[in-house]
Amino acid sequence: MSAPIEPNPTPDAPPNKYRREFLWAMGGLSAAVAAAMAGWGGLELMVSPGTADEWHKSVCRFCGTGCTIRVGLRDGKVVDIRGHEAGHNKGVICVKGSMLRALPEIEGRLTRPMIRKGGKLVEAGWDEALDLIAARFKEIRDTHGPDALAFYGSGQLFTEESYTANKLFKGGLRTNNVDGNPRLCMASAAAGYVSVYGKDEPPGSYEDIDHAEVLFIFGANPYECHPPLWERIQRRRAADPRVYTICVDPRLSPTAKRCDLHLPVIPGTDLLLLNAMAQVIVEDGLAERAFVDRHVRFSQAGQTMDFEAFRAFLQDYAPSKVEGRLGIGADVIRHVAHRFARARASMSLWTMGVNQRTQGTALNIMLNAIHLLTGHIGRPGATPFSVTGQPNACGGVRDTGALAHALPGGRLVANAEHRREVEKLWGVPEGTISPKPGHHAVELFRAMEDGRVKGALVMCTNPAQSLPDCDRYAAAMEKCFTVVSEIVPDSETAKTASVLLPAALWCEKQGVLGQGERRYQLVDKLLDAPGEAKSDLWILAELATRLGLGDVIKARTPQEVWDEWRHISAQSYYNFEGMTYDRLRALPGLQWPCPTEVHPGTVRRYVEGDDPFVSKGAGIEFYGQKDKRAVIQLCPYVPSPEQPSADFPLYLTTGRVLEQWHTGTMTQRIAELSGAAGPARFVVSEVDASQRGVTSGDMIELSSRFGSVRGRAVTDPSMRPGLLFAAFYDARLLVNRVVADHFDPVSKEPEYKVTAVQFRKAGD
Amino acid sequence: MEVADVFRLLTGALSLLGAVLCVWVARVNFGRIPEDRKVSLGVATVSGVAFFKLLALAALFAVPATTLAVANYHTIEGVHGVDACNRCHVMTPMVTDMRDPESQSLAARHFKNGWIPKDQCFQCHSDYGLAGDLHAKMEGYRHLARYTSATYTEPIKFRGVFRNDNCLKCHEGTPKFTAVPSHSTVRGRLADSSLSCLNCHGRAHPTRDQRTPGHPDYPRLVGEKP
Repeated sequence: MSAPIEPNPTPDAPPNKYRREFLWAMGGLSAAVAAAMAGWGGLELMVSPGTADEWHKSVCRFCGTGCTIRVGLRDGKVVDIRGHEAGHNKGVICVKGSMLRALPEIEGRLTRPMIRKGGKLVEAGWDEALDLIAARFKEIRDTHGPDALAFYGSGQLFTEESYTANKLFKGGLRTNNVDGNPRLCMASAAAGYVSVYGKDEPPGSYEDIDHAEVLFIFGANPYECHPPLWERIQRRRAADPRVYTICVDPRLSPTAKRCDLHLPVIPGTDLLLLNAMAQVIVEDGLAERAFVDRHVRFSQAGQTMDFEAFRAFLQDYAPSKVEGRLGIGADVIRHVAHRFARARASMSLWTMGVNQRTQGTALNIMLNAIHLLTGHIGRPGATPFSVTGQPNACGGVRDTGALAHALPGGRLVANAEHRREVEKLWGVPEGTISPKPGHHAVELFRAMEDGRVKGALVMCTNPAQSLPDCDRYAAAMEKCFTVVSEIVPDSETAKTASVLLPAALWCEKQGVLGQGERRYQLVDKLLDAPGEAKSDLWILAELATRLGLGDVIKARTPQEVWDEWRHISAQSYYNFEGMTYDRLRALPGLQWPCPTEVHPGTVRRYVEGDDPFVSKGAGIEFYGQKDKRAVIQLCPYVPSPEQPSADFPLYLTTGRVLEQWHTGTMTQRIAELSGAAGPARFVVSEVDASQRGVTSGDMIELSSRFGSVRGRAVTDPSMRPGLLFAAFYDARLLVNRVVADHFDPVSKEPEYKVTAVQFRKAGD
Repeated sequence: MEVADVFRLLTGALSLLGAVLCVWVARVNFGRIPEDRKVSLGVATVSGVAFFKLLALAALFAVPATTLAVANYHTIEGVHGVDACNRCHVMTPMVTDMRDPESQSLAARHFKNGWIPKDQCFQCHSDYGLAGDLHAKMEGYRHLARYTSATYTEPIKFRGVFRNDNCLKCHEGTPKFTAVPSHSTVRGRLADSSLSCLNCHGRAHPTRDQRTPGHPDYPRLVGEKP
């Protein structure tokens, strides 16, 4: 094929032809570029605006994991919640945290103060309510003395609120009757840490999970109760096949089901396990003697003992001697002890299964002890960690000393020098603080019952549902002039109130939350509280003024209180003076000690280079004790008062479920959560059920030495015979009616986890 | 050689052919083609004028249309691969992390366990159905425009809403999914993506901090040699 090419005769073309063609080409190109740009611009405009218009860093309101979150707002309402990827939780939260968006909008919020008149709560104004409270409190104090007044607080109040309440009652009203629900959940952990290290709060951090080889989960159920921590454990397991998880729990909990080894101890006997592990560690040469000799002291009843005396004490706890009572074979005990001791890094995680026990303090001491004996402390992944249950029991109550025996910064009421220090720091006259420790939680409600306490302020907690033997103590509250600061008018505690005050919650107010790893985080106010609801700090400050104690409570805004407390903390090993509001607003929290405004916070306490209080060259130094040695108390096993009998042959243990939190005051009002959890029920073994003619779904009546309660039972094939489980979130199944109120002699924490019970089929 | 490369070569060859034909036809003066000039096309013989008209048709319409079709096949199908995303260096941290056997991000876990056998980026970032595919292309175009015009800052930030459908299309209805009661009570929120799956199930990619120049992890994530 040949083509007859006839080139255009160039001389005939007009002289500007190529320019015109060039302009045409450029025009076309410009049009194409314009179209592309218009397309791009259009696409930019089409990008979804997202679920929220503005995002704010905040903290989850629920459990003690203390997840950093982002709160999405649109039109002044919370419309989305996301985990904050810069937070310790690395962006992970749980379904409860995800549903925080619904919390400010829950139905039935209390919006006006109410005063009981003629047996009924009727609406009133703030002035009338506060004047009444002040008048009654003054009258009670003048007639019966300051110890007839009490404050019962919460690990859910902001630090500024707990600090102010503590100061108002101890430094203003001159009574040490300041306690709260942290007594019910972590007093044993605090007592254990203080006993061992001289100072409260865990030495390690959540970050240690990322480095641990053995994760010893003891009396804890993080799968349901601290899901972001469980997720972190899962990530650790997936990252290293050597990671070994052990769960100690009488029940095959969702956590136990997923661990490598489950030790189903007989309820109430697990101190035998820890003492037996210690015995194996000592006898089999697994102890780090160099570490122990340098950093540890043994003690019994205040007398220092040597390692050999400790060894001798443990002989009664050889695995072969305890296996029958413990319900775990001697070989398994040895295996666990060896696995724990020989790991490159072992981390223990425990919560209420350990703390809520008549031997809670001893269990805490021994959990710390096995770490000290094996040197599994102060290294990445090696730490004894008490996981906490509430968002601010650590920062708000333990650290501020808002407990009956305590004063701020680890000081004690019973110590005259400590009282003088605090009086000076608070600017109150010497001798203001009573030398007599106040009533701890259970005793406080018993004092209401028998009239020793006649007026009480209850804030941000629901003791009528959460206390053991709760009917008894709800009645005690009704006998007393009880002021309740609450978010709803129909909680079990609100029903007992003489005066009911509408409280703001979560981001309707401002303050700091301090979670389990010594991390303080700021919650900024993002919303207005409904109706006339006010922050608990406002209530306390107004009450102080009406009580004539305005000169004691001078700091009246969250930041003023925080700055006061921050500066006071500098006079202790709980030093967080470097945590200004500005820093806390900019960062996803800081861990104390944090003494200066440039200090990055302390991940591992008692470790040189990390903890600013450790002496140079010391390596590890337990500076909370005078001789800078951690103290291991010898802890003999004492059986629980709740032993099965012919009348009550079964054990009841209580706990939480994934989608509900505490007494359900908040989570039961969120449809997505209440729907998922459903009504609370008793989980019973198929054997126990069939012996009593009960089938799954039947109503049963459960009774103990303390009372009885009716509820629906479900059978669970994984439930061991002789054991029942019930969660306490549902007011329709008040399981605490039957729970024993025995408490630990040291920490005074009640033993929720072990109650001897019986049940029978009941008609619908 | 991958299929995408074949299409890339083909597109190039067609573009070249189209350009040559255009120049050729443009240089022909149709009025001066002898009327008796015949051109044999093998199966038929046509006049010279007809031949150049056919050539013009090919140069102006047929070849460009074919080029466009072939090129767009590459655009539509060829960019499904991970490497296509990885060509923009701001995406490299995501890809590096996904292929890192040590990483515990959701992307890495899906990759190393073979849960998504190929085109991993596209599988999770294209919404369900035809509209989802189209949306992904539009987003891809937007990303391309941003990248080539350098109108972005590191670390890049996800705009809009990541649709839970991308997770639910595989996970919903599985025994593990249905075993969690709250999955059913938050079903509506999952469906409209107002409650992110990532809340409970963790980070999909390296954090924004890690992807910020100056972070200790940044050089590794962008593939810089130590």
